[in-house]
Order: sequence, then C-alpha cells, then structure tokens
Amino acid sequence: MGSTMINDIRISYEDFQKFREYFYHKTGIWFDESKRYFVDKRLVERIAATGMCNFRSYFTMLRFQASGDELQNLINSMTVNETYFFREEYQLKCLVKSVLPEITEKKFDNLPIRIWSIPSSSGEEPYSIAIYLLEYWEGINHWDVEIISSDIDTNMLHCARKGFYSHRSVQYLPAQILHKYFRNTDGGYQISEELRNVIEFTRVNLFDPTETKSYRNFDIVFCRNLLIYFDDMSRRQAAENLYDAMKPGGFIFLGHSESMSRISPLFKVRKFAEAVVYQKPYYKSEV
Amino acid sequence: MGFVKRQKEERADVNERVYERNCDGFSAQLKDPDPAVRRWAARDIVECPGASTVLLERLEKEEAIEVRQAIFTSLINIGDRDAITGLVECLRSEDAALRNEAIEAMKQLPEGVSAIIKELLKDDDPDVRIFAVNILEALSHPDVEEWLIDVIESDSHVNVCATAVDLLAEIGTEKSLNSLDKLRTRFSSEPYIQFAVNIAIERITNGQYHDK
Repeated sequence: MGSTMINDIRISYEDFQKFREYFYHKTGIWFDESKRYFVDKRLVERIAATGMCNFRSYFTMLRFQASGDELQNLINSMTVNETYFFREEYQLKCLVKSVLPEITEKKFDNLPIRIWSIPSSSGEEPYSIAIYLLEYWEGINHWDVEIISSDIDTNMLHCARKGFYSHRSVQYLPAQILHKYFRNTDGGYQISEELRNVIEFTRVNLFDPTETKSYRNFDIVFCRNLLIYFDDMSRRQAAENLYDAMKPGGFIFLGHSESMSRISPLFKVRKFAEAVVYQKPYYKSEV
Repeated sequence: MGFVKRQKEERADVNERVYERNCDGFSAQLKDPDPAVRRWAARDIVECPGASTVLLERLEKEEAIEVRQAIFTSLINIGDRDAITGLVECLRSEDAALRNEAIEAMKQLPEGVSAIIKELLKDDDPDVRIFAVNILEALSHPDVEEWLIDVIESDSHVNVCATAVDLLAEIGTEKSLNSLDKLRTRFSSEPYIQFAVNIAIERITNGQYHDK
C-alpha cells in the first residue's frame, strides 16, 4: 500500500476508544487522550502494513485472527522497547530502602540473597542493580548477593557479557558512577571487569516450565516490561514459573505499566513508599 | 561479603526436588498434605495419560489457591476433551471463585471451547449461558458475532441477552443492527435492554444512528 493510501486512513475518536479498550484488555496498557497521536499513527501504519483499507476491517481481523500474530505486531509497535541504566530508578530505590531491609530482617540463614533479572537484554538492568547495591545499600557489606540474569536471546546475552554501552544508554547515570564503573571506549563505554564478573548470564525461555525448573529460591525478581509482550496464556504460564522460582516472601518488580493482579491471583500487592511490588505469600506455617 | 557467583554443585539450596518423578508418583503427590508438593505434582503430571481426570478430581476438593492455579494451567496446557468437559462442569459449581477460574481457563482454549460453545449457549441453566457469553468475549473465533446474534434473537432470559448486547457493543458490526432493534422490541419493558441496545447501536454506527 502506498503512502497516498496511508494518508487516506482515518482513525475516528470512536475508533480510538474502541481500540484502547481492546488493547487495555489484552495488555493492561491504557492510552489516555494525550497518547491519541501516538496511537493513531501506529494504528494507521499497521492498517497499511496488513493491506486493510480502514480501521473497522483491521480491527475485525485483529480480534479474530487465530494466530494472534497481528496483535503481537501491534504490541511491538505500541511499546517502546528501550532500556538504559537506572531505568525506573524509583524501583531500585525501593529495592534498597524497603525490600532488602525486609528480606534481611527475616533471613536467618547464611545463604546468599538471590536476585534474578529477566530479561537481561543487553545487561543494563542487572548491572544497574549491582551498582545500586554497591552505592546505596549498606547491607552489601554484611550479606552475600548472587545476581543471575537471563534472556532468551543469545545475542543479547553476548552483548551483556561484553558490557559495551552507548552514550544514550548511560545518560541517566550520575557522573561519578559513570567514572567509577565504566571505562571510555571508541564511541561509548564498557562496564568494569569486576562487575562483568559478578553477574551470571544464562539463556532461558521464561514461558517454558521445563527450562525454568532449575531457577529456584530467588528472594527478588526483576521482570520488567516483558509480560506485556505476550498473550494471556503465556503471561499466565510465565507468572506460574516466576512464582515457582521465588522463595515464599520473595518480591517481584514489574514494569510501571504492568500489573500482576491482572495476570495471576498468586501474588500479594505490596505498596511501599517508593513503588508497588508483588510478593509471593509465605506458606501458612511460616506466617 | 558482596557479590558471589556459585557453581551449580554449590547451590544445595536450589537443588532439584526429591519426590518420585513418574505418573503414579504425581497422582499420589496430588494428595500430599504439603501444598507445595501438590502444586509441583499438578504441574508435572501434564504429560501423563488421563491427567485431566486426575487433576479435575483434585480440583473438586483443593483449597490452596497456588495448587488450584497450577491445576487450571495444566488443564489449559492439556486442553483435551476431558479437560474441557471438566471445566464446563465447574461452571455449574456453587463456588464463585471456581466458576471464574474455569471461565478464565476456557478463554484460553479457543479451539476446544468453540466446538462446544453452541451447546453451552443453549444450556438449560441461564447462568451457564451467561458464562458462555463471558467466554465468547475472549474467544478469537470468526463466528462470535453470529453466535451473539443468535443469543439475542432466541434467548428468553433477559440477563443472558443483556450480557450478549454488552459484548456486541464491543465487537458488533452492522450485521447485528437488525437483531438489536428486534431485541429492543422483544424486551420493551426492560429499561436496561433499551439502554444497552442504544449504546451498542451507537458504537457500531459510530454515533450515526438515530433512534427510530
């Protein structure tokens, strides 16, 4: 379909409303009026890309397509797949100010505190967690911490292990942290060898219960902006797998637009001063 | 203290489970007093012959939410005729949580449920018919609108029709307009039907419709 026809496609306000209700139902993501331009633009692109001539025919196809491929394409285009150091920093603050103190208060063994960061993507999240603990959590002097970070994409894991980053990726890091943990390279930065050596990067498909079986006893899980990409069944299965990977009383951080309550009743909502986090309940005998 | 990286053999705390890992073992573990054991059994039994029947039997008496969730997820993964028949029976339960969980599970089984949905939409129990409409809401099937039209044309129960109209407001096309109009006449003394039909027609016609 040529650009002239793209220009002919119109999204009415009723179309926008109909679409956002549907999209919210499918992904938990709600577009308010201020996102109208963003949503319309991407909808028009997808209508043209699928060879449909208007919103109505596209929406019908979207709802009834058995494979769900187009919904996935739409989700990909409606979400900004971007990551960087200290992304959603309020959650990292919550980790060191509220979650870790609660975990250590109830921890009576000498085993390491286990943290799982999934998806690792190119490593910004697990390295951010490590830096945050070193810089802002006094407990790192008293407790062992084991960070495992996983992704289904082996290219991403390779990048994460190498630890090279662009200016854009480190733009929100305070200067002293950048100087302390990174070295300048041609056109960017590489994270210190010390940090590269403390994180274990592994390949796993979160939606495959067989693959996640060996992931156990995590005190804390970061699983941000991943579940929104998948259909209801995959989300349900992923929530089950995450639940089984966690210790009773363990915490899970999701992306800011994600809600575990809409995916699974297995977790409790915990509202801390800094962020909302989900918790795997203790077994009755442990309460 | 600080960061540690352990070899697999050093992770005694995350070792594999010690229970018997075969179908007879899983069936027995589903009755274990420890819910964590029952949950693992509910997950692992998926590949075993007759798993749906065993899981559904357990579901009848299972109270731990984490085990129930695992049972439903396994039934979805199995998705055979026994699983679907069992889920339909859950719709008749007095336990609201069980019914809702069954509805959610059935929404994940479009193929199997599509084969029986017409039967469910004609069930003697109006509550079951309402649940069937609820299931349609998430069923990716090209005939959903036709089924809903059939409901609003033929079902005698006002609540069943109202539920169908609510869904038509979301997914209906011009095909539904005539039947919506007829429904308004059939339930002329029901204010909610008048209201819901108006909303549905307005949405379908993008506000171009004017009350006759």
